[in-house]
Amino acid sequence: MLPQLLANGLCAGALYAIVALGFGIIYRSTGVFHFAHGAIYTIAAYLTYLMLVATNIWWPVAVAVALLGAAFSGVLAELLVYRPIQKRRASPLAALIGSFGIYLFAVNLIALIAGNETKVLRPGVDITFEVGSVILTRFQLLGFATFVVTLVAFFLFKKSRLGRLLTAFSDNPALVEVLGWNASVIRIAIFAAGSLLAGISAIISVMDIGMDPHVGMSALLISAVAVVVGGVKLFEGAIVGGVVLGIVQSLVVWQFSVRWMDVFTFSILVLFLVLRPQGLLGKKVRLEEV
Amino acid sequence: MDLSRRTDNVPTLEVKHLSRFFGGVAAVNNVSIAFTPQRITALIGPNGAGKTTLFNLIGGYIAPTSGAILLGTGDLTTRKPWEIARLGIGRLFQDVRVFGKLTTLENIVVAFPNQVGEMFWQPIFQRAQMMKMERPNIERAQALLEFVTLADKANTVAENLSFGQQKLLAIARLLAMDAKILLLDEPASGVHPAVLDSVMDLMSRLVDQGKTIIFIEHNISVVLELAHWVYVLDDSEVVAFGLPDEVIHDRVTREAYLGV
Amino acid sequence: MNYLLHILVMIGIYLILTQSLNLVMGYTGLLSVCHAAFYGIGAYASTLLMTSWGVNFFVALIASIVISMLLSFVVSIPTLRLRGDYFVLGTLGFQAIIFGIMYNWISFTRGPYGIPGIPSPSLFGFVFDSPSSYVSLTTAFALLTVGFVYLITSSQFGRVLKTIREDEIASQAIGKDPLFFKTTSFALGAGVAAIAGSLYAGYMRYIDPTSFTIAESLFLITILAIGGSGNIKGPIVGTVILVVLPEVLRFLQIPDTVAPNIRMMLYALALILLVIYRPRGLAGEYGFE
Repeated sequence: MLPQLLANGLCAGALYAIVALGFGIIYRSTGVFHFAHGAIYTIAAYLTYLMLVATNIWWPVAVAVALLGAAFSGVLAELLVYRPIQKRRASPLAALIGSFGIYLFAVNLIALIAGNETKVLRPGVDITFEVGSVILTRFQLLGFATFVVTLVAFFLFKKSRLGRLLTAFSDNPALVEVLGWNASVIRIAIFAAGSLLAGISAIISVMDIGMDPHVGMSALLISAVAVVVGGVKLFEGAIVGGVVLGIVQSLVVWQFSVRWMDVFTFSILVLFLVLRPQGLLGKKVRLEEV
Repeated sequence: MDLSRRTDNVPTLEVKHLSRFFGGVAAVNNVSIAFTPQRITALIGPNGAGKTTLFNLIGGYIAPTSGAILLGTGDLTTRKPWEIARLGIGRLFQDVRVFGKLTTLENIVVAFPNQVGEMFWQPIFQRAQMMKMERPNIERAQALLEFVTLADKANTVAENLSFGQQKLLAIARLLAMDAKILLLDEPASGVHPAVLDSVMDLMSRLVDQGKTIIFIEHNISVVLELAHWVYVLDDSEVVAFGLPDEVIHDRVTREAYLGV
Repeated sequence: MNYLLHILVMIGIYLILTQSLNLVMGYTGLLSVCHAAFYGIGAYASTLLMTSWGVNFFVALIASIVISMLLSFVVSIPTLRLRGDYFVLGTLGFQAIIFGIMYNWISFTRGPYGIPGIPSPSLFGFVFDSPSSYVSLTTAFALLTVGFVYLITSSQFGRVLKTIREDEIASQAIGKDPLFFKTTSFALGAGVAAIAGSLYAGYMRYIDPTSFTIAESLFLITILAIGGSGNIKGPIVGTVILVVLPEVLRFLQIPDTVAPNIRMMLYALALILLVIYRPRGLAGEYGFE
């Protein structure tokens, strides 16, 4: 029983980790609490649906269109909303409110076009595989494999010159500009990459369990909790936080009930904010130094 | 408010073996200073020497790793910033920190301690008394604005003042809260030369009234003109102290501070 | 006619909600995302007192204020130490937790089934069960709330709140205890929100947790962001516009199936444009500039 639960948790957490990594990279490096990350997630989900169902196109093309659409939407949010707010040197909370506006707009536009009801891409029960003593579905395996690929790609990227640039930009954007890089181009790249990650997670998840216009909201909330749990200061924090959340949720469902999952998740958020704001990976921070 | 009245019985502010480490690195290391009351003490030293950290420690914004902060016979070491402010230790921040959306006058009136109307039920149940107390407070605030040469800016929103005027306002705010010991972090920096004279004149008038002034300053001529006593901090420690003339011309100071 | 009265009742209830959030967000600068939770706590507290204990509406109303204020400390004591984004996240967490409890503690709140048959408020034998009588009730409470918020903000108390909003560290430096004032402001906001919750329950005569979601909290913030906050008129302007706008859309004969989405898109557009070009909203004094 327990290995199966851990495996389920790990597979759910893998998808959380991917979307949370996108959110975490944007939050850590631009300071924008990207509420609209949830909308990007929804956009990717519905693009996939639209491509597969309406056009009946070959699936890799559908996936590519959805991912490009997600990245493009993220860049649009940066260009149309965050950049003008940032130019005013506004408080980060202004960007948060603007981001919430983007979320509302995008999600309601989707609902207007596609309707509020749940859409399903995969009828019936999924094919399953036996791995040792645990049984996993095709999409669980796909999700986990994608997670591993994402992880490898992320760590390779982090070691690269561009990855080091991203870290430097997160710590001190002004310095990177002094070194001759264009900060607004870097920000565009960050939003594109972060949104791409949201898209990847969204496509796998909704192909398996379907979608309604509000799927993005829970993905966003999970991302925010994962980033806090793992640690905001490190990009890896979102990955660890996502996986931990997936496993904890799986255990909560087992021990209590699926009904109490959200209450547990957000209690973990509050506990971390209060008792360990630096997250699992972060070094001890003293709030008074801020 | 009688601005010519002298402040008496100002207790001595003293730090003893005060240290603060940030992740193993000392920002302030075993500093012991007793600040002479009713005199102007200057803290000089290169950037990162620990001067502002020392102010943050005294003001209660960060906790010391070890050592003690004393005011007369009282111990300030574990007090909160607002408690320390109420005990008469006022702080001028390097970046001034006026309340941008409030008017110049409001910036000062709000700083008077223990006003009727600060508890949420008082504006409802003791409104008459609240209004009655407000009138003399506004008069006192206006007198303070005159004292710092900002009388004509009373109704200007603080964020529209120049940086130098904001410094004058912030000093007036310290007087409104009845601070007897003033910690001024670079009062002269970033200030227009004309306003600089007002700031320096204000500091000497305040010490004449019996206030204790401790200030951080990079401008050596300001230190030479105003300070009665100078401490040099370098690399988180006190490396020299004495009369301004002697210290500034001292070899150690020149090496640490001026790099010549 | 009844339809117009319904709109007036909703304006009254939302005025109470937005003015109480105004105290927290507009005057104290705290972007709280759990205001709807206190709205819900107020609604559930008075409903349960009325239906299970037979308590009179007005007694239940006062009790719900006290309960909501007490519970506000559970939220404020841990979260008010956090700054900026972390405070927002902390209140978001509590919003989700409180909603989750309302939704899942079925033996206490009946969860998703909701509580029907809530009695109409009655005072000395007069029962507020017609739309016109309820308008007078909500309007009276809305006026009381506006008066209350005006009185406590146009004062030394309000001035200290504004210093915290402008610069919390400087506020400490002049000898004010920000934690005390923030806790007080947050508790008052929660208490007033409970009035709105009680009035809502007594009006609808049925409540379920879906009226008190994160989305509702965000909607209240939207009203303040559009109308403005930090003064009395901002929230009034925002509330009237956002409560009446759906009816205007209906008047324009936009079909009911798409009207809610179009409405939300208009709100969203207004929110984005204002936060870029006019952060203090249409009539407010303060915005996250």
